[in-house]
Amino acid sequence: MQSSIKPPRFSLARRESLWAYAFIAPWTIGFVIFTLGPMLASLFFSFTEYDIVSPPKWIGLTNYINLVHDQLFWHSLGITFKYAVIALPLGLVVSYMIAVLLNQKIRGINIWRTVYFLPSVIAGVAVALLWARIFDPKFGILNPFLAQFGIKGPGWLSDPQWAVPALVIMSLWSVGGNIIIYLAGLQGVPTDLYDAAKVDGATAWQRFRHVTLPMTTPVIFYNLILGLIGTFQYFTEVYVLTNGSGNPARSTLFYNLYLYQNAFKYFHMGYASTMAWVLFIIVLGFTLLIFRSSDAWVYYEGQLRGR
Amino acid sequence: MKNKFFKIFALFVLASVILSACGGGIAATQAPAEKVKVVIFVGMGTGTDPDQVDAQNALAEKYNSTHDNIEIEFLIVPHEEYATRYLAMLSGGNAPQLVGPNGVSTVAEFFDTWEDITPYIEADKLDLSDFYGPAVELNQYPDKNTGLPLGLYPSYIYYNKDLFDAAGLDYPTHDFEDKSWNIEKLREVAMQLTLDSNGRNATEPDFDPENIVQYGYDDSWDTLRGTLANWGAENVGRPTTSDYKTAVANSPEWIQGLRWLSDGIWEDHFIGSGEVQAGRDSAGVDPFGPGTTGMFYSHTWFLAEGLHDLSFSADIAPFPYNPKGVRIARIDADNFTIPKDAKNKQEAWEVMKWLTSPEIIVDVCRIYGCIPARKSVEAKFLEQLKADYPGIDYDVIFKSIDYLDKPNNEEWIPEWGKIEDALNNGLSLVYSGEEKDATKVLTDANAEVQQILDEYWAANP
Repeated sequence: MQSSIKPPRFSLARRESLWAYAFIAPWTIGFVIFTLGPMLASLFFSFTEYDIVSPPKWIGLTNYINLVHDQLFWHSLGITFKYAVIALPLGLVVSYMIAVLLNQKIRGINIWRTVYFLPSVIAGVAVALLWARIFDPKFGILNPFLAQFGIKGPGWLSDPQWAVPALVIMSLWSVGGNIIIYLAGLQGVPTDLYDAAKVDGATAWQRFRHVTLPMTTPVIFYNLILGLIGTFQYFTEVYVLTNGSGNPARSTLFYNLYLYQNAFKYFHMGYASTMAWVLFIIVLGFTLLIFRSSDAWVYYEGQLRGR
Repeated sequence: MKNKFFKIFALFVLASVILSACGGGIAATQAPAEKVKVVIFVGMGTGTDPDQVDAQNALAEKYNSTHDNIEIEFLIVPHEEYATRYLAMLSGGNAPQLVGPNGVSTVAEFFDTWEDITPYIEADKLDLSDFYGPAVELNQYPDKNTGLPLGLYPSYIYYNKDLFDAAGLDYPTHDFEDKSWNIEKLREVAMQLTLDSNGRNATEPDFDPENIVQYGYDDSWDTLRGTLANWGAENVGRPTTSDYKTAVANSPEWIQGLRWLSDGIWEDHFIGSGEVQAGRDSAGVDPFGPGTTGMFYSHTWFLAEGLHDLSFSADIAPFPYNPKGVRIARIDADNFTIPKDAKNKQEAWEVMKWLTSPEIIVDVCRIYGCIPARKSVEAKFLEQLKADYPGIDYDVIFKSIDYLDKPNNEEWIPEWGKIEDALNNGLSLVYSGEEKDATKVLTDANAEVQQILDEYWAANP
C-alpha cells in the first residue's frame, strides 16, 4: 500500500532558507525600492545636469569638477566640520557624564532617567522652535540668566559669530538617546570587576578610569559612529531656524542645507546628487578611520590582545 | 484537490484586486457624467491660514455646485513645503492643474515649468482691457504669458498714529504730489519716533542705543531687491542689465539705498537690527502689531495679515520720494499658473478665467488680501475694504499702483534662486552688523552675481 503523505519537495534546510527569505522580504523589498534604488539613481544623476522638469543630460564629471571650484561648497563643508568638531565630542562627553550619574543607585533614579531622555523624543522642528524662544535676546530666558552673572548675552541666532555655538548648545538637548545607550553599556559592566578593583585599593576615579571606561568603549564607539553620521547630516533645526537661508550672513549654511538649496531652490538636482555622494564618501572615510582606530581603544570582553 | 482549489481561489482574488484597482480609472474615463478634476495647488504664497482654507473650500463648493463638467479642489500645502511638494508632483507625473496664488517671485522661481497661456487667450479672444495694464505686464515675459492677473499688492507706509501723537509729530502726508515727503524726511521723522528706555528719542545726544524700546521705521519683511528697488537705479528692481548678462547690483543708487539702511540701523538707530527681527520672529509677531514701530513699509497683503485687532490707531501713507525726486513704490502681484505638464489644461484655463472673472475676483481677492486686478470691480472692492478696514485712506492703496517698480523687484532673472540668495546674504550682512559698509557688501554681491550669470550663460549659450 502506497503512503498518501507526499514527501516534502524541499529539504528542511532549504525550507528554512525559504522561510528566512520570506521573512526578510518586506525589508529587502523596501530597502531596494526606497533606499538602494534612489541611491543608484542619485549616483546616475550626479553625472548629469538635471533640473527635475527636463530629462537628465549626461555631463560626465563636470559636477564633481565644479564642486571643487565652488566656494560655497567649501564654506558649507567648513561650517559642518566646525559644528562636528565641537558638537560631537561635547555631546559624547556630556551624555556619558549624565549616564554615569544616572547609573547610581539613588532614590527616584527612574524619574531622572525619564526626565533626561524625554527631550530626545521631541521632533527636531519643535526643538528648533523652542530654542528660538530660549535664545531670543529680549524675551528668551538665556540672556536674562547670563545677566544675573553680569554677562551680556549675544544675539545667539542673529550674530554670525554665535549662530553655530548656539546650535551646538541646542544639540545637547537631544543627548537622551546617547544616554540610554550608555546606560545599557554601564549596566553591562560586571560588578566583580569593581569588587576586585576595590580589593586592590583602587579609588573611585581609578575604578572609573580603568574599569568603567574601558568596559564601555564599545558603546562609546557605537555612539561616536552614529554621532558622526548625525552631525554630518545636520539639517532640520537649521532649516527651521533660518527659514532655509543659512543666514545670518551664511554663518549657518551647513552642508546639507546647501545641498537642499541646490536641489529644491536652484533645481540643480544633478549637482545636489554629486554633493550627496561626496558627503557619503567623506562620512564613509571618517567612519573607516574610526573603525581602523578602534583596535587601539575599543575593548571587547573576551577579546585577546597582542596575540 | 484542496491545494488546487486554494490556488484558483488565490488567483481569482488577486485578479479581482487588480481589476478593481484599474476599474475606477476605466469607469472614470467612460462615464459621461464624470467631472474633470482641476486641482489648485495652494501654498506658494498666501492661502494657507485656517480661515483662508475655509474660504477656499467654500469657493470650491460654489464652483462645483454651478458647473457640470469641472470639479475644483484646493490642495493646501504648508508654505515651507511648497517647493518640495510641487517638484515632487511634477517629477511624479502628477502635476496640479493650477498653481496659485503665485507671487511674481514664485512665478520666477519655477519659471520653466509654466504653460504659456497666450494661445488660450487668443483662442477665446479674451478681452484683457479690464485688467490694470501693469497687472497684465507683470505676467508677460518675452517668451510667455504666465497667467491672468488676479491681484495687485501695492506698497505704502503703515503708520501708528498714537506714536506720532505721543511724539507731537504730524502724520506723513497722503498727498502724492507733496515732494517734501522724501526719504530724508522719513529718516528725520523715524529718528524722532525712536525711543530708548528712558524715553529719549534718537535725535537726542544722550539717547541710549543699547536700550531701544520703540523703532521709527521697519522694512525688514522684504528682500534686498525689494528694499533697494525704490532708489531709482536704471534697472530699478533687477540686479542685471536687460539682457541678463551683466550684474548691476552695485549701482550707485543701490549703494546709496543700502548705506541709508545700514546707517539707519547702526548710526541713526531708527531701524531694528537682525537681532530685533529674530526676537520678533521667535515671538511670532509682526513688526507693526505690537505697537512699537512708528512706520512699517509693506504691502496690501499686510491688511489681512496684520491690521486686525490693533491696540492703537493706524493709517497708511505713500512711500516717500527717493533722492532723485522720483517716487517708486515696489509692487507684488498674484496670479494662477498652469504647469506645462498638467493634464486637463483646457479645464484649468476655464477655472483660471472663472477665478479672475469680474463676478468672482472680489471674493477671491478678499480671501488673499489683494487688490483685484480688474478696474471694473474697483468700486465694489472699495466697499468691501471700507467694511473690513474702516478708517484708513483707501486712495493711498489705489494711487500707489501708479508708482510701481518696473522692472519688478521679484521678476525672473537667470538662476533666480541662487542670485536671490547671494543678494540676500548681503542684506543679512548689514542687518547682522557683520559688514556695515554698503559699498563693500554690494561690490562683493555683484561679483558673486556676475559669476553666477557667467556660469549660466556658459552652460546656456
